[in-house]
Amino acid sequence: MTAVHTTDAAVPTTSTSAPRRAAPDGAPRRRGGAFDRALPYLLLAPAVVAILWLIGWPVLSVVVTSFRKLNLRELTRGEVVWTGLDNYVEILGDPAFWGITVRTVVFTALVVAVSVLAGLLIALLMRQISPFVRIVLQVAMLLAWAMPLLAATTVYQWIFDQQYGILNKTLVKVGFDSFAGYSWFSTGTSTLTVIGLLIVWQAIPFLAFSLYAGAIGIPKDQYEAAGIDGASAWQTFRAVTWPELRPLLLMVTFLSLLWDFKVFAQIWAMKKGGPDGGSTTLAVYQYLEGISKSHFGVAAAVSVVMVALLALLTFQYLRRLVRSQEGSL
Amino acid sequence: MIAKKISANVVALVVALFFAFPTYWMVATALKPRGEMLTSGYDLVPFSVTDANLVTAWTKPGFLNALGNSLLVSLGAVLGAIVVGLLAAVALSRMRFKGRKGFVMLMLVAQMAPFEALLIPMFLMMRDLDLLDRLPALALIYFAVTLPFCAWTLRGFVNGIPLELEEAAMVDGCGRWGAFRRVTLPLLGPGLVATSVFAFVTAWNEFLFALSLMKDQAKETLPVWLSGFQTNFGTDWGGAMAASALFTLPVLVFFLIVQRKMVTGVTAGAVKG
Repeated sequence: MTAVHTTDAAVPTTSTSAPRRAAPDGAPRRRGGAFDRALPYLLLAPAVVAILWLIGWPVLSVVVTSFRKLNLRELTRGEVVWTGLDNYVEILGDPAFWGITVRTVVFTALVVAVSVLAGLLIALLMRQISPFVRIVLQVAMLLAWAMPLLAATTVYQWIFDQQYGILNKTLVKVGFDSFAGYSWFSTGTSTLTVIGLLIVWQAIPFLAFSLYAGAIGIPKDQYEAAGIDGASAWQTFRAVTWPELRPLLLMVTFLSLLWDFKVFAQIWAMKKGGPDGGSTTLAVYQYLEGISKSHFGVAAAVSVVMVALLALLTFQYLRRLVRSQEGSL
Repeated sequence: MIAKKISANVVALVVALFFAFPTYWMVATALKPRGEMLTSGYDLVPFSVTDANLVTAWTKPGFLNALGNSLLVSLGAVLGAIVVGLLAAVALSRMRFKGRKGFVMLMLVAQMAPFEALLIPMFLMMRDLDLLDRLPALALIYFAVTLPFCAWTLRGFVNGIPLELEEAAMVDGCGRWGAFRRVTLPLLGPGLVATSVFAFVTAWNEFLFALSLMKDQAKETLPVWLSGFQTNFGTDWGGAMAASALFTLPVLVFFLIVQRKMVTGVTAGAVKG
């Protein structure tokens, strides 16, 4: 647990040493030369240049591109054709786009809700079990967490294989004969269910570990006090655990939204958004329009819509995060 | 009370089974002889083991090439991001200067940039730079993806090292650089390792950009190569599982080393209240 102490120690250290570095009258303690004054900017320069070039510029560029007609023809000829809002009109007027958007939002919400809830339950469970079982559980979760996305996707395809997959074999073995040769990838919904299970399975370990770290940080005497007052398990959870874990829960829910909304690798590797586009989400649609069909303008408009949706989903939390950081700088 | 305790442990073991099974199944399949693979027989434990699948995967055309490409872009990106990130972290954590808050905020916001949504401009940019189908394009993008995270996390680790230690070294006659190199840098070791591992795993896993920017098969990274396993392996699930296992191994080793540090690193900035 050394790292917990290191990072926790960060808070008091900065707050005590920061004021001391500046002299009481606010002037720098030591008047350095030009080099000393320039040093922090020199140290920051590579990072800032890289961020502005490789993140800042693309952010501007995606918005600009979304107002252009840019297909392979325009790209190879180097033509710049402005079309105003045409790309947006095209995608927003397409019922298929709305279907994909709704599917993406519902899928993200379900995956985030299930994984955060399961992560919380497992974190609370971890406090109730013997140390040996806890280590077994932690190692098991570590295995799931560490497996590269594409390796995990391949393994899941094998487990869910129609003919020789171990899942169907097991289901038949325990009496569900209708699962012999059952295809888990025949409809978009069942394909997305398998993908969702895969994502949740890989997301839970991080959530459970984070929440467990938060849960063991809750002072023991609060639980003793609740016990003396004769509180039930549910009342103890509501009065002690929940308020203490809430900030952390918000944080990990926010991170999960950020991660799960943009999922591409697992969906593409599983069935390329199929069957019949039934598991296509916005991230897949963006790839299909932009890279497969070379409709860069339209794809850029899809990207902008994605970011707008994501911002909408996380706006409240983002505002609080930025504010809280401003306070603690 | 005892019954409750036992049932909690039993539930925990079932949950552990759920998480461990795919890894077990990957290894078990990888070690299974080909003849036992595509049968209707029910065998949770392989009847006999063989290394034939591992050899098949290892010698499959493209595997070693993809492995090399993945290592090259991931290590290159992480090395860059750690060095550049550390410079920024030291400035943000140890120095007072005008605009510091703005720079901290820039790192925080850049960390949340949704890179997947920048696919189109990145593609166009790499095309303009004539970097399509060239590995430096991926190294550059993975560097950009991991840099804000590295700078932000390392700043936290530098903050955790008391300034007094450096000041003591300077009293003892070290210069500012000497004090940093002899005192702070060694103490930063674990933090540097944890941060690099997290950045490495991000790059190692990346799929969308590798798929979009490297159309040339010789430039495929491992995730893209593995995603085409059906063309590579057909229904040879043993080979596919062996390749997956080889792909997983380095990450698993890294994870076991630094698992505890990663959780606290990512959630260090949780909002109170």
